[in-house]
Amino acid sequence: MVKYILKRIMYIVLVFFLLSFLIFMIYGMVPVDKAAEAARNEITANKNLDYNERYEYWSAKYGTDGNKLEQYGRWLGVYKFSDGSRHGLLTGDLGTSRESGRPVSEEIVEPMKNTMLLNIISTIIALAITIPLGIFCAVKRGSKRDVGVQVGTIIGYSLPTFIIAIVFIWLFSVILGWFPVSGMQTPGYLDWSPARQFWDKMYHLSLPLIVMTFTSLGGMTRYVRAAMIEALSMDYVRTARAKGLREKVVIYSHAWRNALLPVVTLIIGWFLGIFGGSVMIENIFSLNGMGQLYYNALQQNDNDIILSVQMFYIAISLFGNLFIDLIYGVVDPRVRVNR
Amino acid sequence: MSDKKKNANGTAEKKGFFATLGSWIKRMFFGGSKELSESEKFSVENIDSPSKMAVKAFFRRKLAVLALIVLVGLFLFVFIGPIFIKMDVNYTDANLANLPPNYTMLDVPSELEGNIKSISGFADFTVGVSNDNTLYIWGSTFDALSKVEYSAFPEEIKEGNVLYAAAGLDHIIAITTEGKIVGWGKNYQCQFGYKANEADPYIQMPEEFITGTIDPSKVSQLVCGYQCTALVYDGKLYVWGNPSGMLNMKDLVEYSNPAEGKEAPKPVKQVAISNYYAIALLEDGSVITGGQTFTFNRQSGYSNMAEGNKVANLQAHLREKKVINIGATKNCFAILCDDGELLIQGANQFGEYDVPALVNEKFVSVVGGTNHFVGVTDQGKAYAWGHNDGKQAEVYGEKASVVYAGAKQTYLVDENGELLDSTGFKGYLMGTDKSGRDVFKRIIYGGRMTMTVGAVAVIVSTVIAIIVGCLSGYFGGWVDMLLMRITEIFSAIPFLPFAMMLSYIIQKNPIGETARIVIIMIILGLLSWTGLARMIRAQILAEREKEFVLAAKAMGVKEKIIAFKHILPNVISVVLVSVTLDFATCMLTESSLSYLGFGVQQPDPTWGNMLNGANNSIVIQNYWWQWVFPAIFLSIATISINIIGDTLRDVLDPKSSQEK
Repeated sequence: MVKYILKRIMYIVLVFFLLSFLIFMIYGMVPVDKAAEAARNEITANKNLDYNERYEYWSAKYGTDGNKLEQYGRWLGVYKFSDGSRHGLLTGDLGTSRESGRPVSEEIVEPMKNTMLLNIISTIIALAITIPLGIFCAVKRGSKRDVGVQVGTIIGYSLPTFIIAIVFIWLFSVILGWFPVSGMQTPGYLDWSPARQFWDKMYHLSLPLIVMTFTSLGGMTRYVRAAMIEALSMDYVRTARAKGLREKVVIYSHAWRNALLPVVTLIIGWFLGIFGGSVMIENIFSLNGMGQLYYNALQQNDNDIILSVQMFYIAISLFGNLFIDLIYGVVDPRVRVNR
Repeated sequence: MSDKKKNANGTAEKKGFFATLGSWIKRMFFGGSKELSESEKFSVENIDSPSKMAVKAFFRRKLAVLALIVLVGLFLFVFIGPIFIKMDVNYTDANLANLPPNYTMLDVPSELEGNIKSISGFADFTVGVSNDNTLYIWGSTFDALSKVEYSAFPEEIKEGNVLYAAAGLDHIIAITTEGKIVGWGKNYQCQFGYKANEADPYIQMPEEFITGTIDPSKVSQLVCGYQCTALVYDGKLYVWGNPSGMLNMKDLVEYSNPAEGKEAPKPVKQVAISNYYAIALLEDGSVITGGQTFTFNRQSGYSNMAEGNKVANLQAHLREKKVINIGATKNCFAILCDDGELLIQGANQFGEYDVPALVNEKFVSVVGGTNHFVGVTDQGKAYAWGHNDGKQAEVYGEKASVVYAGAKQTYLVDENGELLDSTGFKGYLMGTDKSGRDVFKRIIYGGRMTMTVGAVAVIVSTVIAIIVGCLSGYFGGWVDMLLMRITEIFSAIPFLPFAMMLSYIIQKNPIGETARIVIIMIILGLLSWTGLARMIRAQILAEREKEFVLAAKAMGVKEKIIAFKHILPNVISVVLVSVTLDFATCMLTESSLSYLGFGVQQPDPTWGNMLNGANNSIVIQNYWWQWVFPAIFLSIATISINIIGDTLRDVLDPKSSQEK
């Protein structure tokens, strides 16, 4: 088991570096020269400076002198800068935001917290709804209610997030006036008590959470239903029924336990997916999350943030896949991960 | 010799490949191609092939058939629609922005049709006054944002007491039989009534007009423009309103009210307002702009289209002529001289310069709409030219003694006020967006773009997936290992952020718009093949263990033929289902990217970028047509594709059909 995990981690690290190289090189195609910009800004502020000298200074500082490979090494933190220092991704230095001038590692703390909060809550709510619904549909397969739910779920997963969001904003914010249209906090919240601040935040997050939950209902219900139907058609379910077990026991302890395996894969995969997908929700509701940070960074050519967030997404995805493999063994003792 | 043989073989195989592909699809839907002879028909039991059964099962499902019909209808709509409905992608018209769905722009009220005294229209609504002095209004009379209803006349306006009326962009001015000047609509830019704030740059309607009355018989003309109004009363020109709608407004005010010591103004006969300037025609046949010369910074290039050549200096040219009539479109002025020469001054954007060449006729009057002119000749015939997007310029030699022009409408009237013909733009079926573009047309063109991007992306991703999946599944070993690792790397890339980044990189590099769209299609395809590749691989792994492969191997069939001819057809049902569902997914992804501004860029429409900007409460609440229609079309398309894909999966899966 340990050997397997180590092997997987080795592999993940390899893929991570491969992808980081790929992304760094792809990103290198953007015709943005940080050093030239900094030098130009200095020249406009102080006419006495020499552009070439300042340009060289800034490229040495940013590590943009040398070829692409050297730049990549510096960005990772494995290759020395011109002044002999070494700092980069691996040493925890993610660079500096071009817009705010703050280190990226500081800049992403608050958005990451918000995104995590949003994703975890919406996952929990979505699971609480979809698992019972999926089981119900599988058990009552072919009934009118099942067909109704099936049609509903097709509609649910066919609609893009932004359309659902717009319709929900129209319904809940514009017509009913229950929730704010966008934003994270009421202006002037800083003077309030922490408890009130928290509830204010939750109030602002309600509509995004509702939309996120709603968008996930369709796909997840279908998936749970399919897994459950598969499990219910197995021989052991027939055996259990033949033994005269109560239907509840058959469904929940025989069938559901077996249906859990694909569902777990789905849940984790989906949880990872919403990190990437949260760009949309955060953009629509102007929430201060990772997606919005990424979106703004792209709008403002904030290179260090773009690369850091991109690597964050990749890391999440890679470790999530490892997690899926490991959890297999926990949920389903038949699966030996070290094979 | 060997080369030649190889070559011949190669071409033969290529043909063979397409033939095989065709035969799979044929077998898929129509069953085996083997024809049975008469005697065999009776001896063989009538058995449907599995795919024939699947097709039958598909058509037994009402929902799926409905979805198929809807989808085919949408396809025809977006791919055949553009043949009939032409759209200029870059066309915008700020005067007609944010209009609700309306199809009544040409609906002259039937009471007015027989006795028209005057018709005036500038943008979305038109007003008409009848010979018995009643005011009528038609067109898009409701402003969605400010909730102003232009057809709600103020109490001063009664039936039979309106002498003159003119419609501007967002206000109406009318003069009653009592001599009262009444305005309604919006007045936040001083279109009528008092100036709210001294600091405002707007010019207020003269005090005596607001409080007092005038002698209606001395009014010679009333015109409204972009939030501004011009009135010729007793030979004197009065202008008021928003100076950004009439940049020479101050000059004209100074001309009419000269400072002491300056020469008194000459009597004014007529005035014409474009979107930016006004010119006035004096009784002596000269044209003034209020300033010293024609210094129109937005409008350059003087042209004399009657003779087909340009006039170098319009001012000098006009000095020797007597002008009898003037007209204005949004960007041009028409100046008609008494010898029939028609000069067009301004920007030739939509063919405003293309004045019809007349034989033995000359123009006696000219009026302008938004982008078209209509002239009447001394023979009593009307000719129109200029922008023809709503057939407003489709008037050539028709009988008329007086013509009126709405924004995109032309009304031909005889000497008794009888409406002879009206032609032009009827309105917007689905309203307009914030730049005044027709939402309905953009839905057609946007649908074409969205579906094309989706289809190309799916084709790219399916081709990659089939190649990778087949190679990996069939050959196994290190090929499988390598390809699956590549697949894993690709699937580890978070889709939306990565696509956004790639799109951002493309935006930063100087690439043409079409090339950009093609690259976006390929990016979408490149990022979405991993799931299908894995499915195909798993399917092939299962298939190649089966007996028929063993049998083929035993018979000495080549590996390549086994892979592509024996195994691949078994995978085609997986591919078919996946292609259908992925098509919907790719459409959604494209829409999401375009919605965020990282896909296809404006002004090229897609269903996604039409919704861009709809996530604020003003648009959601007031301009519902701007998001409801694209959203409905996109949703219906993806829902029907998903229903079809889902049903296909059900009917193609032998397990599920056995259970039924």
